[in-house]
Amino acid sequence: MPGSQLGSLFRLLRHSPILRPFIILIGCVVLFAAVDGSQFRFLSLGTLRSTLQSFATLAPIALGLGLAMLAREFDLSIAGLFGLAGCVAVLTGVDYPLLGLLAAVAVGLAVGVIQGVIIVRLRLGSVAVTLGGLLICTGIALVISNNQVIGYANTDMALMLGDYLFGLFTWRSIVAIAIIAVVSVLFALTRIGRDIVAIGSNREAAVTTGVPVSAILIGVFGFSGALTALSGGLVSFSLASASPTGLSDVLVPAAAAAILGGVSLSGGTGRPLSIALGVLVLSVLRAGVNAIGAPPFVNDLAIGTILLAVAIADGPELMRRFTEIASALQYLANRRSLK
Amino acid sequence: MNRRLSVLPLGSFQMPALNTVVLLRVLAVAGMAVLIALSPGFFSAPTMLSLVTTISFVGVVAVGMTLITVSGNIMSFSLGATTAASALTFVAVLNVAGLAAGIIAGLLVGALTCGVQGFFIGWLRANPIIVSIAGLTVITGAASGLTNNAMLYADEATGYEALRGKVFGIPAEFLVMIAVIVMAELMLRFTLFGRNLLMTGASYRVAEAAGVARTTTVFVAYALAGALAGLAGIMLAVRYGSASMEYGIGYDYNAIAAVLVGGTAIQGGQGSAIRTFIGLVIITLVQTLLLLHGFGTEWQQLITGIVVLGVVMLQTPLGR
Repeated sequence: MPGSQLGSLFRLLRHSPILRPFIILIGCVVLFAAVDGSQFRFLSLGTLRSTLQSFATLAPIALGLGLAMLAREFDLSIAGLFGLAGCVAVLTGVDYPLLGLLAAVAVGLAVGVIQGVIIVRLRLGSVAVTLGGLLICTGIALVISNNQVIGYANTDMALMLGDYLFGLFTWRSIVAIAIIAVVSVLFALTRIGRDIVAIGSNREAAVTTGVPVSAILIGVFGFSGALTALSGGLVSFSLASASPTGLSDVLVPAAAAAILGGVSLSGGTGRPLSIALGVLVLSVLRAGVNAIGAPPFVNDLAIGTILLAVAIADGPELMRRFTEIASALQYLANRRSLK
Repeated sequence: MNRRLSVLPLGSFQMPALNTVVLLRVLAVAGMAVLIALSPGFFSAPTMLSLVTTISFVGVVAVGMTLITVSGNIMSFSLGATTAASALTFVAVLNVAGLAAGIIAGLLVGALTCGVQGFFIGWLRANPIIVSIAGLTVITGAASGLTNNAMLYADEATGYEALRGKVFGIPAEFLVMIAVIVMAELMLRFTLFGRNLLMTGASYRVAEAAGVARTTTVFVAYALAGALAGLAGIMLAVRYGSASMEYGIGYDYNAIAAVLVGGTAIQGGQGSAIRTFIGLVIITLVQTLLLLHGFGTEWQQLITGIVVLGVVMLQTPLGR
């Protein structure tokens, strides 16, 4: 029956975390190249560079959020932390940029660890706790910046971060790629990866089999906070300014990237590399829309549509509904043949 | 309940009847009362009027958010964008086809955008967080494509300003919010739909066993939430005589903050519109006190965050 083959293909797409973002990525590239035709606005060095720039901003954040989602938790606070980290880095890093970056990462780590401890020790839901964290982070950012956009006087730093190495990479994208590489290797080779997957798949079983659930969850939230802060600090340095409300919305694209990378909110699926692929899809989309001269809202519509499609494809009742529709059709067909 | 986003790592719980919790609540209320008494100018007419108007917009959205939270779907990220999109629709249709058409169009756009999300969430059990993030992105994209991020101004010849009035000195917005709260509360407590909604939120499987039409229930809850966000958008547009996507910023987070501070549990199955109202009043009182004592608006968000986190922490299942 061709239906069952189609079904198995569909199941493969649903359950292979690497394959899905890869196929969507190829689809995006082919689509943009086709729309662009022979003008080579899309297949160009400029597009590659701007893809890598969005990748550099988004990849660390999506990785942190993705690991939290892998463990069946969620971290809303990154939306506020991104702006807060930028403010901290710019305010403390005028003379010594590295010190500012370190301060920002320390703040991010502290925010993440505190939230993790509250979630684990008080057995609370991560959405509610990190919502508080989001509001508090934005609040602190508004207070320390006096509700204004802060300029960063150290323009050398901005120039350095804007330089292209080997004509393609910036320091920010090298940092992002290095983080992805290190985390992927650690995830694959050490116990930590298996433990996170175990926590996300079946928490009771993870507790029973001796997985250090509390420590790992606190670590995951700390990691998410630190990475978000790193990205926020670097973005503020490279733009030579910081805004308490964040220079761009990161929560939606980060969640979208993780979900595109095969991470489901029901936990246990997805890998660091597949999250990176998800980020790459979004970055290509953003750069491509710019390159072919489409208005920016096309990017939003495309991301929203892809997300909705993924959410529907991941719906636990999807198969049941298919079967229901199929059996209803069968029933109608039978009735007709009886007549 | 494995499929739900892990709101609770282990087991489930009810609101604790903890003595410390009760004690803390009494202390918080007493402390606030003392602070209010010590704040000259708190009960002055301008303060009260501006307070009452500003909370009305968030209040109506928060009642809609309560329905979503109670239905077991945590929160919607798209209610703020829905509010703004409805405001834009209202103004656009108002200028062309008049007041009644504008109101109907505004409410419909809200109900439809959220209803579609509710359909997928109810019918396929698609994840509510992802679906609402997708909804937010699509609404923002469509709105900026259609309006070019411009602000729309309402035409005064349509007579919409008549809605801006006061009844016995009370702003019309506040009366609308009170009516919405009362109707939502009655619906949750005394109607079949309300009972179904609470049961679906408490346990999806039990609701299935009890023969509750869960798809319809979740769909209606979202459509109502969207219509309420639309109502808030219309109220905003009437008050300011204009609309833009900026108007919706923060409404989703402020609404869920009110829901949580009111004591509605985020995992669903229980909660009420009146609780959400109380949560909203608490947040607003704290913010107003801060303003009166010379703290700038930048402190408001920080204090709201601390209040939300504090209330959430009091909901711990430990020590029961």
